[in-house]
Amino acid sequence: MAVQITSDLQENISQFEELFSDCADIKKRKVKVGQNLEKECYIAYIEVAVSSTEWKDSAVGKILQTLRELPEEKLVSYVEQNVEDISDSQPFATIEDAAQGMLTGDVLFFLEGYDKALKIPDKGYPGRGVYETESEKVIRGSNEGFSESIKLNTALIRKRLRSPHVKVKESFAGKRTHTNVDLVYMKDLIHPGMLEEIEKRLGEFEIDGALDSGIIEQLTEKRTYSPFPQFQTTQRPDRAAMAILEGRIVLLSDNSPVALILPATYNTFIQTSDDYYSRWEIASFTRMLRYLASFLAMTFPGLYLAVTNFHTQILPTDLLLSLAAARQGVPFPAVVEIILMEVAFELLREAGVRLPGANGNTIGIVGGLIIGQAAVDANIVSPIVVIVVALTALCSFAVPNEEFATAFRILKFLFIFLCGYLGFFGFLVGTLGILIHLSHLESFGIPYLSPFVGADLNGYRDERDTFLRLPLGLLRKRPIYTREGARTRLRFKRQDKGKS
Amino acid sequence: MFADNWKISLRQVRRLLILDIFGLSSLMLPGILSSLTGADGVFCLILGAAGGWAFLWLIRKNLQNAQGDYYHYMKDTAGQIAGDAFMVFYYLYFVTLCGFALYQAATLVLTWLLPEGSYFWVSILLLLLAAYGTVRGIEGRARVYEIIFWFLGIPLLVMLFLALREVRTDYWAPLMYSKSGDFLQGTLACWVFLLPLTALLFLKPFCQKPEGLAGCGKCALIEVSVLNLAIYLVLLGVFGRNTLGVLKRPVITLMSMINLPGGFFTRQDVIMTSVWFLALFALMHTGAFQSTLVLKELFHESGNRYSMWISLILAFIISMGFFGNTFLMEVYEIYQKWIVLPGLTGILLILLLTYRIRRRTAREKEGEENEQ
Repeated sequence: MAVQITSDLQENISQFEELFSDCADIKKRKVKVGQNLEKECYIAYIEVAVSSTEWKDSAVGKILQTLRELPEEKLVSYVEQNVEDISDSQPFATIEDAAQGMLTGDVLFFLEGYDKALKIPDKGYPGRGVYETESEKVIRGSNEGFSESIKLNTALIRKRLRSPHVKVKESFAGKRTHTNVDLVYMKDLIHPGMLEEIEKRLGEFEIDGALDSGIIEQLTEKRTYSPFPQFQTTQRPDRAAMAILEGRIVLLSDNSPVALILPATYNTFIQTSDDYYSRWEIASFTRMLRYLASFLAMTFPGLYLAVTNFHTQILPTDLLLSLAAARQGVPFPAVVEIILMEVAFELLREAGVRLPGANGNTIGIVGGLIIGQAAVDANIVSPIVVIVVALTALCSFAVPNEEFATAFRILKFLFIFLCGYLGFFGFLVGTLGILIHLSHLESFGIPYLSPFVGADLNGYRDERDTFLRLPLGLLRKRPIYTREGARTRLRFKRQDKGKS
Repeated sequence: MFADNWKISLRQVRRLLILDIFGLSSLMLPGILSSLTGADGVFCLILGAAGGWAFLWLIRKNLQNAQGDYYHYMKDTAGQIAGDAFMVFYYLYFVTLCGFALYQAATLVLTWLLPEGSYFWVSILLLLLAAYGTVRGIEGRARVYEIIFWFLGIPLLVMLFLALREVRTDYWAPLMYSKSGDFLQGTLACWVFLLPLTALLFLKPFCQKPEGLAGCGKCALIEVSVLNLAIYLVLLGVFGRNTLGVLKRPVITLMSMINLPGGFFTRQDVIMTSVWFLALFALMHTGAFQSTLVLKELFHESGNRYSMWISLILAFIISMGFFGNTFLMEVYEIYQKWIVLPGLTGILLILLLTYRIRRRTAREKEGEENEQ
């Protein structure tokens, strides 16, 4: 049961200190206030989260300064009338709520005779600040990336979308972590049903700790067993802002630099920010490359096995002979060869990720060049297999979203087995199976394969931004995620503009 | 919001129908027509399309009359017993179609892709895939074929275009040379291959714009007929009547003969087999889905698991029958030409006439009551 805060300061202090006993990181101080220093107040804060060196210049320092200049009888009324109104300060009626307020990284203030506790803003928890994104690099466009502070992240979005229609709905996840979760969206663009749906899903679970948006993602996904992610992830505020402008919702979680975007489709995973900043020809070309890469990242080793083991008649004789010559002396069947190299590559990738920056890069080079070459020299694998595995890896890196690329990396092994034992038939069975799976997959009511399917629902306009990214002048309508009636994105003031 | 509403678009219906009809007809018709009628097969194709058009007209009229789904329309129009009997007939049509398409797909795989494979396991794998697709509902099925439509269509058109240079137009003669019996058989065969249009009757509850269903049927009929005509002319022009008549799947054989510019791929038959494999799978899937649907309606099943497994097991048994005994193929041909074709057309005619008679009687009765 919640303990009410009373006007008895000693009572409040004892309740509060009982709650935070054995917490060395929480600093608690009694301070005398009033002209004659006859009244007491009590402040509590988390060490490091509150600036102790610049105490005098902080909000709480200034409040204490003022309280020392006022007569004792006017202190409570001053706090009620003036301090409660300062930005981001918040009064609490119970000890538990007050404690929760302090745990957000601000100062908690109790005053003798005042039956509330006040949260006074300070610098908050230490964070990294705004840094360049490590993934989703672009050639053109902003390099700002999200950080671990949710406040900073919402501000980065707000900085790009200076509209009162941008709404930020706050909730909490994690019974013990009490993690802030913000839903950021453009009120006049989203389907109301979509917002209700995500709020419903957020309310459907209770977990002890939500330490990253990945936990929220997994708990709110509908098809848990699908390898394909149903949320798009981004570390780029401009990507998030772009999604909001398309009528999508961005979910930010405190302590996570990764924002979730919903709904997500195959097409959105292939898009990048600079697709829209570059000219349409190059944007379309790279888009097509990425589509091809996503397909080959999954199927290329399997196709190699199908062709070399089952359907050699496809290839010209010269090529076939050189392939056969390359395999001479290799003791393993081609399937084993491919699996060996793929597993070795996945190990290298895993080792590279876990090692610190420079070492990670070294591992990549050492692994790729030396181990590959050594394996070929030792006749463990043929050179062509090294090329196949390397090209597959390149394809998986060309997929702009890491989570999405992971799905292809996993499915690649399914294709290796299918094609290794059934040849091109295995490839067809695998492709059909994946297509059937993808065709019923949806993200918040939007088909995963949209706009390749159901394009008629938005007058076939969404198809202009798929394999090809047509000139911006032709992308006048927002995609289907936007509510009907609010889909106009671009309007030329001169009628003839954008038509040629 | 948009997904899982069990509604498919007209574009999806059209593409589904095209693949359903095209796969089997383009694979089998050239051989059949060539052996029966030679160059006159062109006229058989045209007349068969005309028959298909008439069949489609009947479908359109009945779709217009049906207020709700087709089963209830049949029961309301022809009575409970007749409605159920018609449904059983439809069930047999779809389940045998599924079995036949499964047999064709599996033998295609064994001939061109996996010569040392086992028919049993290949067909089991295909059935499991069809089961997965059927469980996922009509939306998923429609989306799959909406996506792969152009991936199949473009290579096919390119290959046909490349094959044009091999065509000898003198093989297109002589015309008007075949016997009338053979010509009739050929025309009936062309008509029979258009019967998967029947699926349109059951799509009304699943379509976003049911009023456009007949239009989709028309488009599919025209597109497939034109494509079949082009394929037949190319095949006849390349192989000549005698060779074409003995080839089992001449269109795939043709694909193995075409040389792509650049010469990186020496033979495309394996790749092009996927076009027919996927089209045959689409037809098999349609058979599985529709038979499941019909059985589900007949037994008022709330889910579709039992209906689906019963239908798939039956289809598997039928396909094993085709594989084990080629005589059954002849029986199936007779069944299609002399039972299914008249049966499906007859049901539509009976329903249309009964509906009109009932409506006229109702109007007369209403008129009499008004006069009184």
